[in-house]
Amino acid sequence: MVDAGQLALVIALVVTAYAVIASFIGARQRIPDLTASARYGFYSVPVLLLVSTAALIYAFVTRDFGVRYVAENSNLAMPHIYTWVAIYAGNAGSLLYLALVLAAVSAIAVLTIRKRLPHTTPYALGTMALILLFFLAIMLFFANPLERLPIAPPDGQGINPLLVHFGMFIHPPLQMAGLVLVAVPFSIAMGALAARRGGRDEWVDLGRLWGMVSWLVLTMGLLLGSWWAYTILGWGGYWAWDPVENSALMPWLAMTAFVHSIMVQKRRGMFRMWNMALIITAFIMAQMGMFINRGGPVPSVHSFAQSTMGWLFLAFMVGTLLVSIAVFMWRYESLRSRAQLESFVSRESAFLGQNILFLLVAFVTLWGTIFPVFSEAADDTVITVGRPFFDRVNGPILLLIVILMGIGPLLPWRRSTTQSLVRALRAPLVAALLTLVILLIVGVRQPWALIAFASVGLAVGGILTEWFRGTRSRHRRGEAYPAAFLNLLSGNRPRYGGYIVHLGIAMLAVGITASSFFSVQRDIAMIPGDVASFGDYTFRYVGAVHTVHPDRAESIAAFDVWKGEQLTGRMEAFRAFYPTFRIASTKGAIRSTPIEDFYIVPSEFGADDQAVFRVLINPMVWWMWASGPVMVLGILVGLWPARQPAPAVVRAPGGAQAARA
Amino acid sequence: MQVLGFKCPIFVSNHGSLTLFILCILVGASTIGCSNAQSDIPPVEQRAQALNRSIMCPVCPGESIDQSQVALAVQMRGIVNEKLAEGWSDQQVRQFFVERYGPSVLLEPPTSGVSLAVWILPPVGVVAAIVVFVFVLRQMRRKPALPDDDDSQEPMSDDDLQTYYNRIEASVSDTEMRNE
Repeated sequence: MVDAGQLALVIALVVTAYAVIASFIGARQRIPDLTASARYGFYSVPVLLLVSTAALIYAFVTRDFGVRYVAENSNLAMPHIYTWVAIYAGNAGSLLYLALVLAAVSAIAVLTIRKRLPHTTPYALGTMALILLFFLAIMLFFANPLERLPIAPPDGQGINPLLVHFGMFIHPPLQMAGLVLVAVPFSIAMGALAARRGGRDEWVDLGRLWGMVSWLVLTMGLLLGSWWAYTILGWGGYWAWDPVENSALMPWLAMTAFVHSIMVQKRRGMFRMWNMALIITAFIMAQMGMFINRGGPVPSVHSFAQSTMGWLFLAFMVGTLLVSIAVFMWRYESLRSRAQLESFVSRESAFLGQNILFLLVAFVTLWGTIFPVFSEAADDTVITVGRPFFDRVNGPILLLIVILMGIGPLLPWRRSTTQSLVRALRAPLVAALLTLVILLIVGVRQPWALIAFASVGLAVGGILTEWFRGTRSRHRRGEAYPAAFLNLLSGNRPRYGGYIVHLGIAMLAVGITASSFFSVQRDIAMIPGDVASFGDYTFRYVGAVHTVHPDRAESIAAFDVWKGEQLTGRMEAFRAFYPTFRIASTKGAIRSTPIEDFYIVPSEFGADDQAVFRVLINPMVWWMWASGPVMVLGILVGLWPARQPAPAVVRAPGGAQAARA
Repeated sequence: MQVLGFKCPIFVSNHGSLTLFILCILVGASTIGCSNAQSDIPPVEQRAQALNRSIMCPVCPGESIDQSQVALAVQMRGIVNEKLAEGWSDQQVRQFFVERYGPSVLLEPPTSGVSLAVWILPPVGVVAAIVVFVFVLRQMRRKPALPDDDDSQEPMSDDDLQTYYNRIEASVSDTEMRNE
C-alpha cells in the first residue's frame, strides 16, 4: 500500500511537469491538442494524490511505524479516531494534503473555466500545475511522507497533544485548504493576463467566484482556529496576534480586498491593474503564511509543521513575486481602465478606500510580525512585537473598516448628490446615535468600545434599512411581506448575499469588541466543597477525578454553578499533562449564551487537593461563533446561480429602460 | 397589515423596526453595563492581570504569561503578584523581568532605539494610504478612459438606490403584466 502511494506520487510529479510544459507551449503555439493533453493529464493528478494520501492514512490507521512520518507523528496511545487525521500533524504529511487539495480544486476550477475562458485556461492551468509541481517536488526530494525507516520501531513518538481535539478534524484542513485555494483565483488572473485577456473582463466572474470560495474557506479556517484556541488553549481568549495567526490573517485581508474590488471591475470595468495587484498580493501573503509556518524566522506556538525548509518556501515566494511582476509589466497595456471615475463620493471610491484600509492592516501586521528579525539584525537586540502593539495599531484601522462597511454599500455607483447621500445615510446614522445613547445610559464609558459599537450600529442600521425599504417597496406591489423579502434577496443575490456576510461581520465585531473590552477574569484557589462567586455566578468546586494514562495524566474537575439564585447545572473542566511533550492541554468548562460565556479552566492541581482555577466572564463571544454560519449562508446566497437567465432589460411602466442590477 | 393572516406590527411601520432595533441594543448593552464582575476584582489584581498580559513567557514563544500553561509562566505570575503586594510599581515589575530575561520578555516593543521604527511605520503607513487614496482617485478622474465599449451600462443616475427600488417595482409589475 505504501509503495503504491509512493509510486503514485512519482507519477503525479511526472504528469504535473508534463502538464506545465504542454499547457504553456500549447497556449503559446496555439496547439489545441497539446493543451487538451495537458488538461487530461492534469485531471489524473488528484486521483494519483488520492492514492498517496490513502496510503498514508492507511499506514496511520494500521499503525505502521515502519513509515518514518507515521512513527514521528503518532503512537499506540493515541486515540484511534485521530489516526485518520494525523496525516496533517507534521510537515511532510501536510504537504501531501496541500498538494491533494490544490490538485483537486485546480482540476475543478479548470472544468469551470474551460468553456467560458478558452484562451485563458491553458495559461491558468499551467500556472496551477507549476504551483502544484513545487509541492510535489519538495515532497519527493526533501520531505517524503511515505519514506520508510530501515527498522520499524515498536512505537511511535506521538502527536502534539494540543492537536488531539475535535477541532483537529476541521481547522487545519480548512486553514490549509484556504491558503492553497488562493492559488486558484491567482492562476485564473495570471492566465487571463498572460493570454492578454486581463483587460477584457471575461475572467472577472470566475475570478470572483473562486476568490469568494477561497475567502470563505479562509474565514472558516480562522474562525475555527479561534474557536479551538478558545476551548483548548485554556486562557479564555481566542486571538493573540501570534506570528502564525498573523500569517493566516494576512492573506484573508488581501482576499477580502480582492473580492470587493473585483466588483468594481465587474460593474464598471475599472480597477483592472488594481485587481491584478491585489490577487498577486493575496497569493504572496498566502505563501508567506506557509513560509512562516514551516521554519520561518519567527517562533510561534502554532508551528506544528516546523521544518528546516523555510528557505525553499521563501525562494518560491520571491520567485512568484518576480514572475508575477514580470507578467504584469509584459501585459501592462492590456489593463487600461474602461471607464473614468466620476466622483469622489461614489461606491467606487468607497471600494478603493476599503481596499487600502485592508491592505494597510495586512502590511502593518506583516511589519509587526517580521520586525523582530530586522531589529535583531540591526543591533542585536532581541525584542518581541506582541499583542499590545497589534491591538493598538490595528484596532483603530479595523474600526474604520467597520464604519466604511456601514457607509460604503449605501453610496451609489458613479456619483451621488449631497441630498441623496443625506437620505441614504439618515437611518443608519440614527441607528448609530441610538446605540451610542443607549450604551451611555446603561453606563458604558470606554470611548473605543462606544465608537466600535456605534459603528456596528451604523452598519447594521444601514443593512436593515435597505432590507426594510426594498421589502416595503415590493410589498406595495402586492406581495406578502415574507414573500417580498425573499424575492428581494433572490432578485439580486450578489448584493444581498454580501449584506448577509456583512451582518456576519457585524456579529463578529460585536463579539470581538465586547470580549476585548468587557471580559473579566480571576484566578481562584479552591479545595473541594469550596464555594466562590464571580459576577452573577456562584460556583461550588465539587471535586476532581484524577486518572493516569500511558501518555498523560488527566484531571477532570466538576462544579455546580448557579446564576443568581438559579442552578444552571454541573460543569466539567478538564486538564491533561503529557510528560513526553511537557505540554498541558486544557479544556475549559464553558456555559455559553448569546449574552455571555461563563468559563472555568483549571490552571494547576496542587498536592493537597487544592486547585487553582481561572474563571472568566466573556461577554458576547457566542456571537463570534454564530457569525460563521451566517457568513456561509451569505456566500452561498451570493454565489448561487440564477435559476434562469434574468432578462437583461426590463421595461418600466413609464417606458424608460433600466438594466437589471 | 397582515402577514399570513397575523398582525405583524414590527414589519409594518418604521417605528416597529426601530423598536426592535432599540430592544436588541438594550439587551446587549445591559449585560455589559450591568455586569458587576469588574468591580469584584481588587485593583491590585487588575494591575497584575494587565502586567501578565504584557510579559511574554520566555519558554513558549509568542504567548504571554497570562496565556501560558507551563510551570514557568505560573511561577512568573506568582512573582508578579508577590511584587505588587510588596508595593512595587508596574514599571519596576517589568524592569525586574527585563533584567532577568532581556528586553524580549516584554510583548510590547520599547519606544526607543531601533524598535522605535516598529511604532513609527504604522502612522506613516496611514498617511501614505491617504496619499495613495487621493492620488489614485485623482488619477482615475483625470485619465482619459478607453471608449466605453459596454452598452449594457445602466443609465446614469444621481440616486442609484431610488432607481434600484423603482427597478424592483418595475420588474414586479412587469411580471404581473405578463401574468395577466
